[in-house]
Amino acid sequence: MAIPIAESLKLGFADIMMRKVRSIVTVIGIILGVMCIMVVLAIVNGMNKSTMSWMEERGGLNKIEVEQNWFYDFSKGGDPSFSLKEIRYLQSLIPEAEAFNPTVQEWEAVINKGDIRYSTSLRGVMPDFVKVEQWDIAKGRFIKDLDIDQHSNVIVIGSTVAKEFFGNNDPLGQIISVGNQQFIVVGVMAERFMQAQGAQLGMGENALEYLNRRCFIPISTMISKVNPGSKISSIDIRAKSPEEAKELRRKVENIVLNLKNGKHLFQVTSAKEQLDTMQANAKIFEAIFVLIAVISLLVGGIVIMNIMLASIRERTREIGVRIAVGARRRDIFIQFLVQTVLITALGGILGILLGFAILDKVGSYLQIKVLASVQMIWVALLVSIGVGLLFGVGPAVRAARLDPVIALREE
Amino acid sequence: MDIIKTENIVKDYILGKIKVRALNGIDLQIQKGEFVAIMGPSGSGKSTLMHILGCLDSPTDGTYYLDDVLVSKMPKASLAAVRNRKIGFVFQSFNLLPHLNILKNVELPLMYGGMSKRKRTAKAKEVLQNVGLGDRLKHKPGELSGGQRQRVAIARAIVNEPSILLADEPTGNLDSQSGGDILEIFTELHSQGNTVIIVTHDQAIASRAERIIKIKDGKIVDGNSDS
Repeated sequence: MAIPIAESLKLGFADIMMRKVRSIVTVIGIILGVMCIMVVLAIVNGMNKSTMSWMEERGGLNKIEVEQNWFYDFSKGGDPSFSLKEIRYLQSLIPEAEAFNPTVQEWEAVINKGDIRYSTSLRGVMPDFVKVEQWDIAKGRFIKDLDIDQHSNVIVIGSTVAKEFFGNNDPLGQIISVGNQQFIVVGVMAERFMQAQGAQLGMGENALEYLNRRCFIPISTMISKVNPGSKISSIDIRAKSPEEAKELRRKVENIVLNLKNGKHLFQVTSAKEQLDTMQANAKIFEAIFVLIAVISLLVGGIVIMNIMLASIRERTREIGVRIAVGARRRDIFIQFLVQTVLITALGGILGILLGFAILDKVGSYLQIKVLASVQMIWVALLVSIGVGLLFGVGPAVRAARLDPVIALREE
Repeated sequence: MDIIKTENIVKDYILGKIKVRALNGIDLQIQKGEFVAIMGPSGSGKSTLMHILGCLDSPTDGTYYLDDVLVSKMPKASLAAVRNRKIGFVFQSFNLLPHLNILKNVELPLMYGGMSKRKRTAKAKEVLQNVGLGDRLKHKPGELSGGQRQRVAIARAIVNEPSILLADEPTGNLDSQSGGDILEIFTELHSQGNTVIIVTHDQAIASRAERIIKIKDGKIVDGNSDS
């Protein structure tokens, strides 16, 4: 003869409506706590998404980079560069790599066509560059193996460079000069774009605009003709998967170390491991904010518990009457537990709504991407119900344990 | 047939460090359909006896058969069902739930009995009409006079068609006019075959009953059928 949950819900709802102001005051802590959780989760979620898309734009999680070690103590001797021969040797040792591309860069190369002069970052690369960077060609072709072998004077230009030099005209087949060398334009890179956020906004809307200003020539041409004496000091490698990237990174590190007689002239990093580090750092941030939210929920829960205890004291006689007409202890327990959970759940829903309402404002104020998800709504709702259960049990047990004889005597 | 049969009921209370014996060997038989008054001065143990007869409390010792069921040894969870089905309480201070309308108040025992919403509303309406409050269903107890409130309480007590009706000073908070009306209702219920037990210290009220049981110092001093 248990009274059904639906009946308890109705009873609880009627109680809440009867004491509207008290109910609202009771759940303010929960509302704020849930709101806080919503906002924090949305910020963290947004940050993760930004980090991921940043990583994707930079060539994804399969990417491994070999770069000069800036912390190396050169008093120990050593040359932080690779010869083309060493590069070929290294490449032959890692057949499992999906793509392999060494780069020689000249940060401030001046290219010109007639009167138009343009300062660009010029890169000597190999054909795998497009695979490593996962960067498509918009027009024409990229550098080929034949170009490397023949030290061809071909150039592939960034989309911004193409606009500056040729406007709406077709750049393919046109000649531009780099120093005293003439190059024929064989391709235009696809435009890269990523919405800038926060501090990046100072550099313009497109966080990747610097990439659109680059130009690419065969690495052999770079070393032999454009900038003789320049050295290969950076290699990008692409593994088949992020997990393999971790393995491959260690392998490459060992090979490079052996190649350079055990001197730590280079550092080898994998995007996956960088991301892991970044996410580990984000976790700390996340943990601190979740902790704050949890504390405010606990405080909210304690407030609710106290108010429920007071309410039960006030309703002692009512409980006595209910017991006298046949309510079991379980009925009383459920009545008060359901009421507490109902209050916190309603508080949770209000918190979720308020959280959504301020989400955009928080995002635009901090100039970061905030991203709500359905999962967050469940988390917030479950947490608020959990708080209700946790802090409702005590008062409900106390109500259920009342001695009817004493309860009925209460004034 | 005995609807109530107790043997040597003892009830002790612990007050601080002192043990107080409220009931000291109560042997009582009440027959189905009887109208009984339990009388005694305050502190005599009559309220304690009523609580035990009403299954709100369990005796320290002794046996209590209600409707041939041994209830003195029942677990508390089962006692709730006994209170719900077999006992109707009427209190001196009405004990209606102030925030529920009188229809909902009367429905309460039916709800805990597990009756469906529609059935119990119909049943509660019927009983309220019988006590003359059919036109006040949506009123809250606070909007009614004392006599009307006690009639609601009586309706709540009888709505489950209990085996016994237990009234504790039912006219104690009423003026003599409405008190008389309430006693009229009890007399009427008795004539319909209900077992009515009124606890009182008022001789005038007790005289309306068929039998008066007198209690003093936790013992029956007069009125038990066997004595």
